[in-house]
Amino acid sequence: MPLINFAAREINYKIVYYGCGLCGKTTNIQFIHRKINPDARGKLVSIATEEERTLYFDFLPLTLGKVKGMQTRFHLYTVPGQSYYNASRKLVLQGVDGMIFVADSQITRLDENVESYLNLWDNLLGQGDDLSKLAFVIQMNKRDLTETFSVEDLNELLNHTGSPVVPASAVTGEGVFETLKIVCKQVIAKTA
Amino acid sequence: MYTCAAAGSRKGAFVPKRKGLVINDRQLDLCDDLLQKLKEVSGSTFLALISTSGQPITTASDEYHPETLSLASLAASSFAATQQLARILDENEFTLLFHEGRALNLHVTQVTEQVLLIVTFGRETQVGKVRLYTQRAVEVLRQIFEVDEDEETPAMDADFESSAGRAIDDLFQDA
Repeated sequence: MPLINFAAREINYKIVYYGCGLCGKTTNIQFIHRKINPDARGKLVSIATEEERTLYFDFLPLTLGKVKGMQTRFHLYTVPGQSYYNASRKLVLQGVDGMIFVADSQITRLDENVESYLNLWDNLLGQGDDLSKLAFVIQMNKRDLTETFSVEDLNELLNHTGSPVVPASAVTGEGVFETLKIVCKQVIAKTA
Repeated sequence: MYTCAAAGSRKGAFVPKRKGLVINDRQLDLCDDLLQKLKEVSGSTFLALISTSGQPITTASDEYHPETLSLASLAASSFAATQQLARILDENEFTLLFHEGRALNLHVTQVTEQVLLIVTFGRETQVGKVRLYTQRAVEVLRQIFEVDEDEETPAMDADFESSAGRAIDDLFQDA
């Protein structure tokens, strides 16, 4: 549900990075913060544990600038990936317009990926959103590592909606902006 | 390769499509007037209306300008967490959140299902006064928003979609 402020000529979209613990959600958002034009970004806010694991969320506002006279912003959030933080994940999902599911491509992380993917759809269905209005992209992260599933295999395992898929390595930045670009265009298309 | 879905033939028009939060000129004018009055009578330093998903709607402030985007995101999340705490404690709802600091206090109140009111004020201002006037203001704000929250969110037009697509390509091309 975007916030459209016609009086102030502003429109705000909320995009959430979802996925299992250590899949690279925060790394995505940190890479975007480092590489994007500083004029287009706000402050990166992270609520993390002392071990730098996400406790509640990371938040990064991006400003697209004025589009047809409307100041257009994307608010990027991550969720805590560890399974016992589900109550926090539900809160971050409130009012979401676009989802990026970050899958860890490593073979050893399959169970965590599937659990997180099912948990995402449980939570979305639980909050009663019209899922046909939700932008959704799957990022196959950690493609730089060995002993990974092929993109095709992961796609078959995780992509029941036939959503766009982007191979990526958040550490090197490969695919990070491509993923964001797709979901940003989708959220706008979904409100058009 | 992804391609943007075509928006059809609605070029140049805002067409009802989905429920969301839309602020029109009348609402914003009423809210701005009310926040300004509330700031004066309550002795508060900064006020902001935000959505429950963490996006700012409007603010009232003389000199003190906190980072509004971060503040809205954190306040909305904190308020949402507080509501969940209420649920766990078998309380129907906690309708306000209050943080007391050394120099500054923060007061967050629910206005409607989709709107929160943030008020900050210094030690020189009484908490009771802020609560009293805030509660009165919330009753008026609720009427401003509830009239229109039942309406469907207008969709953006096709021109907006294509222009935004180009802006997205530009923003991310050199990154």
